[in-house]
Amino acid sequence: MNNKPKIGVYVCHCGVNISKMVDVDAVTEFASHLPNVKVVRNYSYMCSDPGQLLMREDIKNEGLNRVVVASCSPRMHEMTFRKTLAAAGLNPYFLEMANIREQCSWVHEDREDATGKAKKIVSSAVAKVRLLEALYESEVNVEPATLIIGAGIAGIQAALDIANAGFKVYLVEKSPSVGGKMSQLDKTFPTLDCSACILTPKMVDVAAHPNIELMTYSKVEEITGYVGNFQVKVRKKARYVDMDKCTSCGVCAEECRLAGRIPSEFNENMGKRSAIYLPFPQAVPAKYTIDPERCLFLTRGKCGKSPKCVDACLAGAVNFEQQDEIAEFKVGTVIVATGYDVFDAAKKPEYGYAEYENVITGLELERLVSASGPTGGDILIGKGENAFVPKEIAFIKCVGSRDKSVGNEYCSRVCCMYTAKLAHLVGEKIPDANVRVYYMDVRAFGKGFEEFYDRVRREGVRYIRGNPSEIFKRGDKLVVKVEDTLTATPLEDEVDLVVLAVGLEPRKDVREVIDLLRLSQSSDKFFLEAHPKLAPVDTATDGVFLAGCAQGPKDIPDTVAQAKGAASSALVLLSSGKVKIGAQISFVNEATCRGCGYCVDICPYGAIELVEINRMGNILSVARVNDALCKGCGACAAGCLSGSVQQRSFMDRQILPQIAVLGVMR
Amino acid sequence: MVDLEKMRTIAKETVSRDDVRYLIGWRQGTYGFRVSPHFMKGPEEAEKLIFSPLCSNNLATYLTLTEKLPVPRGEQPDSRKIAVMVKGCDSRAVVQQLIEKGIERERVFVIGCPCEGVLDLKKVEEKFPGILSPVEVEWSGDKIIFTLPDGVKEVPKGEVLAKKCLSCRYPNPVMSDITLWDEVKSLGDGNYEDVKEMEEKNPQEKWSFWKDKFSSCIRCYSCRNVCPMCYCEDCVLDRLNPQWINRSANISENSAFQLARAFHLAGRCIECGECERVCPVDIPLMALNRKLAKEVREQYEFEPGLDPESKPFQSSYRPNDKEDFIL
Repeated sequence: MNNKPKIGVYVCHCGVNISKMVDVDAVTEFASHLPNVKVVRNYSYMCSDPGQLLMREDIKNEGLNRVVVASCSPRMHEMTFRKTLAAAGLNPYFLEMANIREQCSWVHEDREDATGKAKKIVSSAVAKVRLLEALYESEVNVEPATLIIGAGIAGIQAALDIANAGFKVYLVEKSPSVGGKMSQLDKTFPTLDCSACILTPKMVDVAAHPNIELMTYSKVEEITGYVGNFQVKVRKKARYVDMDKCTSCGVCAEECRLAGRIPSEFNENMGKRSAIYLPFPQAVPAKYTIDPERCLFLTRGKCGKSPKCVDACLAGAVNFEQQDEIAEFKVGTVIVATGYDVFDAAKKPEYGYAEYENVITGLELERLVSASGPTGGDILIGKGENAFVPKEIAFIKCVGSRDKSVGNEYCSRVCCMYTAKLAHLVGEKIPDANVRVYYMDVRAFGKGFEEFYDRVRREGVRYIRGNPSEIFKRGDKLVVKVEDTLTATPLEDEVDLVVLAVGLEPRKDVREVIDLLRLSQSSDKFFLEAHPKLAPVDTATDGVFLAGCAQGPKDIPDTVAQAKGAASSALVLLSSGKVKIGAQISFVNEATCRGCGYCVDICPYGAIELVEINRMGNILSVARVNDALCKGCGACAAGCLSGSVQQRSFMDRQILPQIAVLGVMR
Repeated sequence: MVDLEKMRTIAKETVSRDDVRYLIGWRQGTYGFRVSPHFMKGPEEAEKLIFSPLCSNNLATYLTLTEKLPVPRGEQPDSRKIAVMVKGCDSRAVVQQLIEKGIERERVFVIGCPCEGVLDLKKVEEKFPGILSPVEVEWSGDKIIFTLPDGVKEVPKGEVLAKKCLSCRYPNPVMSDITLWDEVKSLGDGNYEDVKEMEEKNPQEKWSFWKDKFSSCIRCYSCRNVCPMCYCEDCVLDRLNPQWINRSANISENSAFQLARAFHLAGRCIECGECERVCPVDIPLMALNRKLAKEVREQYEFEPGLDPESKPFQSSYRPNDKEDFIL
């Protein structure tokens, strides 16, 4: 079909954006002499309705079968004009954009030269458009289910939203309980709601929801496939406790020979737990788990005459024979809500975190003020008889944030407010405490934040601008060495307790998630969103979305908002049931492919694989593109040494004449 | 020390194995200093094999050229190994072919021949012109011993060794299934003095140099055909649609061909120097290849053909890759 190209060239003035620097009439006149050009017109706004109407009428009346629009960047209006072509009954991919705005009129100052360049760009587009082929988009079905990795508040919220919309959710959590970091918090800023009180109902909901399959103490091992059709493999680690039998009575933990001897992760290693344990009282599921790295029976094969937990459990739930299980299922979309780690304060040795027991992190203080914490809510520093209630307390902000020396240039967004909150809580618990906060800046940007900061200051918390240089011991006091930069006064502040407002970092195991889904990281090493403004929950991989701190530091309201955004993005795919696959994708000429696999490694989307083919009895390996995964970036085509990978609409034989025409004209 | 007896014994054993199809080694050529590849199919041919300073040929080239003939219905394709004798540089070609899946590890048996440097025949034939009968040549410390029709001649290595050998860092095979004799010391430190010399020229000087060289190219494609890394069955530079390079041998098309080939070899060339050796019009092709090798090594700390498990250069990306040289 379309043996003889009949090309229409449409030159846009773009108001004066183009016509000011480019002689549009001269370009029009020039284009009319180019080979195969039947119609040339110029118009003030080609993208407007009358502009598009011109095109549609010409396609119908003049029998045009190829269109060049000389206007702006294809990123701006390629879709607009494709629709125009389609509306006129032409294949939308018979369009070539000649960018004479961003790449010409906007960047030049000489009208004559710019006009000359515009002519070249148009002739080059005309040379290519003749060779374009009709392309067709295809559709694939979307499996009506979502995988959510991480069951902190982000994962929980996204799971509930999707499940409430009537779709299946597989919620996978690495640790024995859902809840994430939010479950460790005491109160939340700026409203001072009890964190557990607002979180636990949601935790219970995800466990009970008929559409949610909750997999705690589990790890996603493999994700293959593409948008709409991901194959997931999850390892459910052995808990050595029968979930159906355990009544969470807790006798096992009391009886455990290691009771009170293992640092509790939930309490930031300040409290103790047993080898068989419930991470925290409100854990969901409320089922005990045996720590395989600590349990005497599992590490040494022997625990006295017989394991005490086994003897103690009336329900007979302890089962050392339990094995890991592998669950495999299909989902249409994936939400990554893997959260964050707090900055390791030992990386700032000048603050003495690893050295002094009365230098603690914000999260540790959070556990100390919490009623479910190791001290039952009393701020007690030190162990046993030496424990004391601190009176002089200093907070240091931006520890591990806004600090190039530790590689974290970014602001962690929560430390200013959690410091204010903790300062307030300290005042509640120790009314005669003197609290001061050393800060670089106070960023109270959210709803109610500035008001809360103001309230805390009125309560008597002193804010001193200065970044402490050193913390050392003098007698039984800690000395914070700092310069008050507002008054230019060097200070040596003697205190009982230093609280480091540690920032948020990407999880240490972030690599595992990257390898699962081929995600990209931004320069701060958090996951990279598809567009910082217009696609903040999307990733470069279709059907994979981000929620919560995995994408960057954020507070609970922002995390919940983003989780709802990710859920709604996933629901768009799930509820439409179909997903369109791009047409300008790559393909492999298997006859010339030498199977080197360069394209496989180059492809950022994992869209190419090597497959074995039988050619006249010989087994050869060649590359093959998965149409659903290919995004048409063209990296494979550029990397292929034998020219066997080509990208539709950008094939060598289409591009070469486009370049060649520039060489012969003056 | 080269031990020809051992070499022949092992060749016999190897070629007699059920899982070996044939062995590629070197044999005396038909005249003068020439050496040919020998495709040995049975143990009786072992006596033909030689290893001497004349064995420049990189036999790894032949591994990827094995023709895949149609397999008659009901039969299995021949999956036996091909045994190949390699010097240090040749072994890097084998490794690079493995990296880019040009060959499979289980289909090749590598016999390593540590090498004290091969001769530049152009230098040798200038020194001993007009010799047609086959000649024996041996290494002896820092000298090469020529047994010529008119007697034995000793020549210092530096006068007759190929340029690539004088700066060679890999005289011993980097990978082999069996190594025939003790490892030898490398002759060079792998510096890029020659490249730096070229870099110091100004663009006009460079262009007049290459214009002169490229205009003499007759596009015989010897450089491509001998290259162990050029083994696409259908070379992109031969195609007619699209025709990147037309067939006529002129300065424009010749330059395009040579530059395209050099870029296809960036991060892949293992510097065996075969292209330059076989060029009938003496184009210093290694000057191009070594310039790119230098850039790849300095900018990305990457050297091809060393680790069969490594990722190919073109497809390995590190977020901290340098990009300050991009214009």
